[in-house]
Amino acid sequence: MYLSVRVDKEKCIGCKICITSCPEPNVFIFLPEQKLVEVNESRCKACGLCTTVCAKEALKIG
Amino acid sequence: MSKKIITPVASLAHILPEDYRDLVEKGPHGKSVGIKDLGSFKEITEEHPHCAGCGVSLGVRLALAALPAPEDTLVVGTPGCSFFALSQTAVNYSNTAFGNQNSVASGLKRMLSIRYPDKDKDVVVMAGDGGIADIGLDMTLHSWFRGEKISTIMLDNEVYGNTGGQESGMSPEGQVLHMAPKGKNFKKIPVFEMARTAGCVYGARVTIASPKRLGRAVNRAILLARELGPTYVQIYTPCPTNMKFSPADTIRIAKEAGSTHYAFEEFMTEEAALRIAVMEGEQGKIQD
Repeated sequence: MYLSVRVDKEKCIGCKICITSCPEPNVFIFLPEQKLVEVNESRCKACGLCTTVCAKEALKIG
Repeated sequence: MSKKIITPVASLAHILPEDYRDLVEKGPHGKSVGIKDLGSFKEITEEHPHCAGCGVSLGVRLALAALPAPEDTLVVGTPGCSFFALSQTAVNYSNTAFGNQNSVASGLKRMLSIRYPDKDKDVVVMAGDGGIADIGLDMTLHSWFRGEKISTIMLDNEVYGNTGGQESGMSPEGQVLHMAPKGKNFKKIPVFEMARTAGCVYGARVTIASPKRLGRAVNRAILLARELGPTYVQIYTPCPTNMKFSPADTIRIAKEAGSTHYAFEEFMTEEAALRIAVMEGEQGKIQD
């Protein structure tokens, strides 16, 4: 099974801390109108670093 | 190089790769976007081949996002973990023999100053602790003594990451590593303090846990190196593989280091302080 980070759009507040904490370029895309992030799953290495820094627990690896 | 060169001719734009067009239209080429804008443009570095959760790859990514003019920047690297990501970056990049990076950068900077006398061409050394503090320490110091107008960025993971975990001069005293089973028995080399003594006009010590601060330091270092002299930024980039912590804990480890031996510190000469005040006054706020 391919693992990647998933975003819970109900919990995400668009703080962007996951974006600046991800070692991989171009994984998170910020959607300014919705004020949340989406993930380019094919680029994610599932290290889980973003899940640790997300204060809203909006991210999980799965 | 004129920024017009990187603007696709309208009639040929459709045959250019989408990635290239994206860099020019939305990305950092010719625009003032920085770390705070990450996520809204295509970055100038591509997928990295590092271990999951790698601090070095995050350091490289953040430093590259903070370049004031990537289209006019030449990055000089040296073998090590830092090299892997740089080879996949859409900026001019030169690799060197291990430790030679500051000598090569000095030569390139002088050559670019002659070739493009009216343009600001930034030469940035981006190398690991092994390249700067151990094998290349003499060449690094001498480039600072000579007052070369280059920026040196050390990605300090406190270990030789890609050769199995030997102790580095920057490893903390007592650190147990794969190839230092009894722990390192001398102190971390004080390169940050040496930079100040050796003539750097600006220096900063940051961790990857403070991305905006990191971006501001890199940006200031590069802009000051254009006019005043050598600058130095030391970035803490912890290594989960060799330090044996979970990849998900990289930021936590960096944060902890930031409150102990890697506390944020910045030094600058009076001239540099005045220049920063002018630059930040002109721009409202320096790009972070």
